[in-house]
Amino acid sequence: MRRMLIVAGRVVRQLLRNPRFLVLSVAAPLVIVYLLKIFFDTMPVTFDVARYAVPVAAFLVHFLAFLLCAIALVQERTAGTMERMFINGFRRTEIIAGYVLGFLGLATFQAVAGLSEAIWLFELDYDEETLATLFVVVWLLAIASVMLGIFVSTFARHEGQVFPFIPLIILPSVFLSGLLVDVDELPGWAEWLGHAFPLFWANDVIQEVIQSSWKLEDVQTSLAVLVGYSVALLLLASLTLREVE
Amino acid sequence: MNAIEVSGLTKKYGKVEALGGADLSVREGEVFGLVGPNGAGKTTLIKGLVGALRPSSGEARVMGLNPLEDRAELRRRIGYMPQPPALYEDLSARGNVGFFGAAHGTRGLRKKVDEVLDLTDLSERANDPVHTLSGGMKRRVSLACALVHRPEVIFLDEPTAAVDPQLRSRLWKTFRELARGGATLFISTHLMDEAMLCDRITILRKGTIIATDTPRSILERGRTHLVVKRDGAEEEKTIGGRPDDLAAALRPYSLQPDITAIEVETDSLETVVLSLIEKEEVG
Repeated sequence: MRRMLIVAGRVVRQLLRNPRFLVLSVAAPLVIVYLLKIFFDTMPVTFDVARYAVPVAAFLVHFLAFLLCAIALVQERTAGTMERMFINGFRRTEIIAGYVLGFLGLATFQAVAGLSEAIWLFELDYDEETLATLFVVVWLLAIASVMLGIFVSTFARHEGQVFPFIPLIILPSVFLSGLLVDVDELPGWAEWLGHAFPLFWANDVIQEVIQSSWKLEDVQTSLAVLVGYSVALLLLASLTLREVE
Repeated sequence: MNAIEVSGLTKKYGKVEALGGADLSVREGEVFGLVGPNGAGKTTLIKGLVGALRPSSGEARVMGLNPLEDRAELRRRIGYMPQPPALYEDLSARGNVGFFGAAHGTRGLRKKVDEVLDLTDLSERANDPVHTLSGGMKRRVSLACALVHRPEVIFLDEPTAAVDPQLRSRLWKTFRELARGGATLFISTHLMDEAMLCDRITILRKGTIIATDTPRSILERGRTHLVVKRDGAEEEKTIGGRPDDLAAALRPYSLQPDITAIEVETDSLETVVLSLIEKEEVG
């Protein structure tokens, strides 16, 4: 527990010492949401903006949290600091949990900023309960993304090897998670595959709660799967991160 | 008690044997040098001793502890400086040293960080981000990270690689001070002038130890070339490297008035080490 907090503290200090990185990782989703607004403004008035606005903001948080965390951990390996942490007594679970905790602040900030901008720009009118649920689901998605980043980083020896995972994991997640089209319209195998991505479950909750009437029972399964997804990835990352060569 | 005991340690990566049955022991308080060319297996041996890799066979003990089975206790008692600086470039020197010191739950950490930064002559740049420091300074920060928790056994993997002669001399002064304080130092190097500064050295070649002794005794395995000039003529002799070999060789010439000059050229440690390596390769 103590060492986990030491790692988290160090990750936060590193992020704060790098204002350019910090500003970019928050500003980039805000700029993209604004570009989305310009694009959606060209669509016919019948176009359902709400159907896409919040899920796209969620996707941006998902993508950035995954990528930044994966790269940060791979850098630890290439710089030799990962090995040095192990030799200085840190255990892999302490490192992973420390990273999750450290990146949680950034992911939360991204989630709040991205969602707030989407709701404000697209003039979406939701009640407090819906807004709270949207924040919770994007936040949970961000945690799952950090876990996914940690898991993927265990397969990459340098930063460049993280990038092939983007078309492999992130793009199928866009096409098969129900973000662009309803998953019911996909072939059976693709619909089944879509369930393997955390964005599918996050989008499921988002689509449910932006309807005018919804109950917690309607979304609790998807929320639970999202939590389960994070736990499963944490366990997998713990198993694949090697302390000893 | 020996600080380090290694017996039959091997490490294979697939078909490649990085370490082939190393045996050695290092006494407490000793400055022990691991000498060998690049790819000799120096880093592999050090990693095996600090518990960063699992040996294929054999056994290693550091302060009587198994590097893998007793890793929690061992890691409090050892310090490790890897070959690359292995630092967080965005953090300051103080931030890096503090982070690795905190890992050990070091008491009075702030004071110890100040002390180790002072020891490594970094106090003036302690709060600057590491990426603004020179290569030599980064190595000193890395050394400070390895020393902050006051380890009993310190493993230094080529600590003076790419370091200017002035800094190298300062670092060796620090190593000697640490040894005087009771620490055991296990230092890998491929620089022979550094090997001469060790109490004992072991020569590693392609994962095999070919000699372990004091640098002076290793030197004595070399040869001395003697050129005696008299009446315009030169007599050349090659004798053993021991001081009494030279004395015996010079005895017949004692103070003969026709001798105009005597040139003595003794093999350097580098020459001796290279010839030992060559002998191993031929044999």
